[in-house]
Amino acid sequence: MAADSEPESEVFELTDFTTASEWERFISRVEEILNDWKLIGNSLGKPLEKGIFTSGTWEEKSDEIFFADFKFSVTHHYLVQESIDKEGKDEVLEDVLPQSMQDLLCMNNDFPPRAHCLVRWYGLREFVVLAPAANSDAVLSESKCNLLLSSVSIALGNTGCQVPLFVQIHHKWRRMYVGECQGPSVRTDFEMVHLRKVPNQYTHLSGLLDIFKSKIGCPLTPLPPVSIAIRLTYVLQDWQQYFWPQQPPDIDALVGGEVGGLEFGKLPFGACEDPISELHLATTWPHLTEGIIVDNDVYSDLDPLQAPHWSVRVRKADNPQCLLGDFVTEFFKVCRRKESTDEILGRSTFEEEGREIADITHALSKLTEPAPVPIHKLSVSNMVHTAKKKIKKHRGVEESPLNNDVLNTILLFLFPDAASEKPLDGTSSMDNNPSSESEEYNLYNQFKSAPSDSLTYKLALCLCMINFYHGGLKGVAHLWQEFVLEMRFRWENDYLIPGLASGPPDLRCCLLHQKLQMLNCCIERKKARDEKRKTSISDNVTNTYPRDAGRSGDQLGPDNLKDMDKEKGEVGKSWDSWSDSEEEFFECLSDTEEFKGNGPESGKKGGLKEMANLKPEGRLNQHGKLTLLHNGEPLYIPVTQEPAPMTEDLLEEQSEVLAKLGTSAEGAHLRARMQSACLLSDMESFKAANPGCCLEDFVRWYSPRDYIEEEVIDEKGNTVLKGELSARMKIPSNMWVEAWETAKPVPARRQRRLFDDTREAEKVLHYLAMQKPADLARHLLPCVIHAAVLKVKEEEGLENISSVKKIIKQIISHSSKVLHFPNPEDKKLEEIIHQITNVEALIARARSLKAKFGTERCEQEEEKEDLERFVSCLLEQPEVLVVGAGRGHAGRIIHKLFVNAQRLTESSDEAAAMAPPEEEPKRMGSVEERRQSSVSDFPPPAGRELILRTTVPRPAPYSRALPQRMYSVLTKEDFRLAGAFSSDTSFF
Amino acid sequence: MDEDVLTTLKILIIGESGVGKSSLLLRFTDDTFDPELAATIGVDFKVKTISVDGNKAKLAIWDTAGQERFRTLTPSYYRGAQGVILVYDVTRRDTFVKLDNWLNELETYCTRNDIVNMLVGNKIDKENREVDRNEGLKFARKHSMLFIEASAKTCDGVQCAFEELVEKIIQTPGLWESENQNKGVKLSHREEGHGGACGGICREEDRLPMQLPGSSCGCGNSPGMWAWIPDFLSMCTNSCARPLCYIKGIV
Repeated sequence: MAADSEPESEVFELTDFTTASEWERFISRVEEILNDWKLIGNSLGKPLEKGIFTSGTWEEKSDEIFFADFKFSVTHHYLVQESIDKEGKDEVLEDVLPQSMQDLLCMNNDFPPRAHCLVRWYGLREFVVLAPAANSDAVLSESKCNLLLSSVSIALGNTGCQVPLFVQIHHKWRRMYVGECQGPSVRTDFEMVHLRKVPNQYTHLSGLLDIFKSKIGCPLTPLPPVSIAIRLTYVLQDWQQYFWPQQPPDIDALVGGEVGGLEFGKLPFGACEDPISELHLATTWPHLTEGIIVDNDVYSDLDPLQAPHWSVRVRKADNPQCLLGDFVTEFFKVCRRKESTDEILGRSTFEEEGREIADITHALSKLTEPAPVPIHKLSVSNMVHTAKKKIKKHRGVEESPLNNDVLNTILLFLFPDAASEKPLDGTSSMDNNPSSESEEYNLYNQFKSAPSDSLTYKLALCLCMINFYHGGLKGVAHLWQEFVLEMRFRWENDYLIPGLASGPPDLRCCLLHQKLQMLNCCIERKKARDEKRKTSISDNVTNTYPRDAGRSGDQLGPDNLKDMDKEKGEVGKSWDSWSDSEEEFFECLSDTEEFKGNGPESGKKGGLKEMANLKPEGRLNQHGKLTLLHNGEPLYIPVTQEPAPMTEDLLEEQSEVLAKLGTSAEGAHLRARMQSACLLSDMESFKAANPGCCLEDFVRWYSPRDYIEEEVIDEKGNTVLKGELSARMKIPSNMWVEAWETAKPVPARRQRRLFDDTREAEKVLHYLAMQKPADLARHLLPCVIHAAVLKVKEEEGLENISSVKKIIKQIISHSSKVLHFPNPEDKKLEEIIHQITNVEALIARARSLKAKFGTERCEQEEEKEDLERFVSCLLEQPEVLVVGAGRGHAGRIIHKLFVNAQRLTESSDEAAAMAPPEEEPKRMGSVEERRQSSVSDFPPPAGRELILRTTVPRPAPYSRALPQRMYSVLTKEDFRLAGAFSSDTSFF
Repeated sequence: MDEDVLTTLKILIIGESGVGKSSLLLRFTDDTFDPELAATIGVDFKVKTISVDGNKAKLAIWDTAGQERFRTLTPSYYRGAQGVILVYDVTRRDTFVKLDNWLNELETYCTRNDIVNMLVGNKIDKENREVDRNEGLKFARKHSMLFIEASAKTCDGVQCAFEELVEKIIQTPGLWESENQNKGVKLSHREEGHGGACGGICREEDRLPMQLPGSSCGCGNSPGMWAWIPDFLSMCTNSCARPLCYIKGIV
């Protein structure tokens, strides 16, 4: 295989692969990969621009190879560059140095803020690394290292690859690399020293220069000048003077409900700890020559204040604890709990609750009984308490997970009408919302949550709060139970639920919100009916009449098939066993007419003439100037039954039933029949309002385009309007005609209800009671996310961070996609929550930085702007240049921060040193020392980096002058030298 | 046959009474025309599978009654629709004038804002035209809808209208859900990994930023050896599990 790349020159030469050893195979594999990646030959790129290592894109390619059974990974790291013109490539430059050797001397990208360590050490734009594939594996023994290096050397030589190839040796965390780069008769060796303790003579520039020079071993005198770049990095950890203002909220005070920033219905925000932990100041001397400055073990010219370049980076705290993020995350965790409310609160409550429900139904039947029932004047203010008392009675105060004060506060917050004596109209609060048209308000539409002023939304926030601060899951279960009780109480006592838009359920909101709206619809109708009943009772009118009328209407009015079946089954039952719902009638609020003797009985068999004699009933208003075709009476629009409100799950069910009927003609017919209840009801109302009417009259009101009028000239020569039904209405026995024939003149209020509010309300209440805390959390999660996004938006508005704005927009668009589908995946929800937390941390960081740099205190407008720009750069960029270094505005602030921190450590050290008096003499000395050092405003540098560069002939004076480079870094516990030494290989 | 269906789409037909909604649907599903089609009561329902660009889509088409009174009943069916066909009668100007009302209704009841709307001017076979083609075009452009004139009687434009609508829906990212996600969907520009609920094609801007500034692990060392912070400053605590971050433990 190795021979593949080499042309066979001699025909008769035998090539023998049979003895290929593991080593040979390994080398050929390396060569193969280098060939595959097209790393052969010299391709010169553009000179490196300043900062390109950070601003450009780095990519990597990887492959795996084996040395015997030891797996290595080969990775090619490279800076993506525009390919240079082909013309340039055509010129084959014989003696040009490989790109990497030239890059060794490039000074444009020293100390890149973010780069692979090899890039930082050697300034390379492209290199290949051969490293053990498994993280735990390491090449430790010297012979193995040498073997690898030899392999690399051979592979580079064989292929003519000019990209440097490194081998990682020792444990991975040590980041030890040795490598080689080969060019036409030149070679660069990359060597490395890594020590824990640095020999004293190498802690300063002069010592390092000595090593560099001795390593080059240049025979020339005088030696060509060495160029030097130095960076000292100082770390600031002490922010003491600016304590972190955010404190965990005071939970105990919360009971009052008036703690700043943490009332129910508001979300907390901010980080609990300082999200900025450190500030790193890098002072750089980018271009020095030997002899300009002195830096040895006794004296140093390197004063950070004098450094020509300052740059700053901040270190962000690892996952700072953020209140909002924690809040939402904890709530999301509830979604995964499996326990039911009863399991959480204990079994006994279940039983007792069951008994209670029985009581309630009993009470209800009493209420609806025809006999006058004294209705207690209940004031709303005590109804919440009654509901609570029941609970207390059952469970005992000690056991309840939520303490009474908290529960009271929450219930008052959720049901503000309970505080006032007079029941408020629950809907009125919705109408005067000033911002109801704003984009922000309509966010619920996108999130499928609920309006931000609705009960559902408030409930979500309360549950979130309780989950976090008041009893966790148990608290959630407890509040939910209270909530359901309250709902039942309101249904039984005809109190509307506050904080819900009136009208049918809003399908753009979450299902729970729809259910509550549905319940409100039921309460509204029941309330109207109960009030009606009260008046009719007081008028001493028995209500046997409408009962019969309702019955007769049953004959052709199935609102769906299930209903029909059910009724058939129930016809035989005695009156008492009927649930009251079946016997109630739709009674319109606006219709104040009383029954006046002309019951439907007389109309049952009555023909047209008889009907015309009937007294009209249930008229709403006159329909323009239209008159009845037969008797010329004005045509009246009747009062009609409102269509049944539907929640999305009911709707789903219904459309499923309708769709199941199939697409055949019979199916379509049945479908129309099932939906004709509304048509029939309208026809009956119409007949009642317009005695003596015909189908044409009805059609003129109901479907005017199906009554076709034509101008005809009659016998006398006059033009008269002649009208007739459209062709489709005239089809014999079509549904319209059929319904018309069956319809009896019954006003809406005496028809059978199209919408059975009692049954629907019980269904909703049962549904609510069945929800486990986890279900509840899932229902309300969109509201919580909605609230969290609003909160983040609000907080961002105070800080005005453009990048955050953009991210929030993305979060909104992303969440609206995720939340619009039923049952969104947990992973996606988590992602959204994570993003919200990130934004929160970002804002908290911005605040922290602004406080530290005192942007608010800055008086000069221009300086303030600069400072603000500087702070926002710190958030977004890995490293920010300080304009004017130590003399600029930002520089002065940073200097002051360090001085203050120094002073603090000083005084605390001194205080500590004072304590043991027996060390008096020693202390004197140390104070003396400290005085000296206290002249310096900065702590000792956390890192000293040096790059030494030169171009000298190696190994002999007559060799080519080649780039030499050495990088050194010294920290408290770590010392590293990374050298790249090139030599001319011709004649050697 | 159902197995290679890419998705099921819900389509709604709305418009004034008598403009020919049911006739259009009948022409499309059964390819027949019945001059004596009874007025729809409530909603009716038909199914048809069609193939657009090699993708089979099952259409569940809900035909609604146009009468004013039924309108209180039908909005619930707007829910979850991916496409809406709004029909008017070119021979009756009043049906065209009322289009605005229908659009309002759509806006109010639609649960999502990216559904595809199509305007169809029906009955072009008739001679007493009252609404010019250009008027229809103008209206459609104003409200960013698809537009076509058709005749359920002569079959003009009917098939085309439905196909066009379906194609547009399939091209709209996030509007539909794939039925058999793991069965190899034919859409070439579908992306795995981001699929799931959005069901396939996604715009670039829909994606969440994968990396927020400074959101990586606090130590700054992302996997591999990329360092935000120079190696000598990697003072990671044990909270960062990445092996490369323990610089302190030098032998």
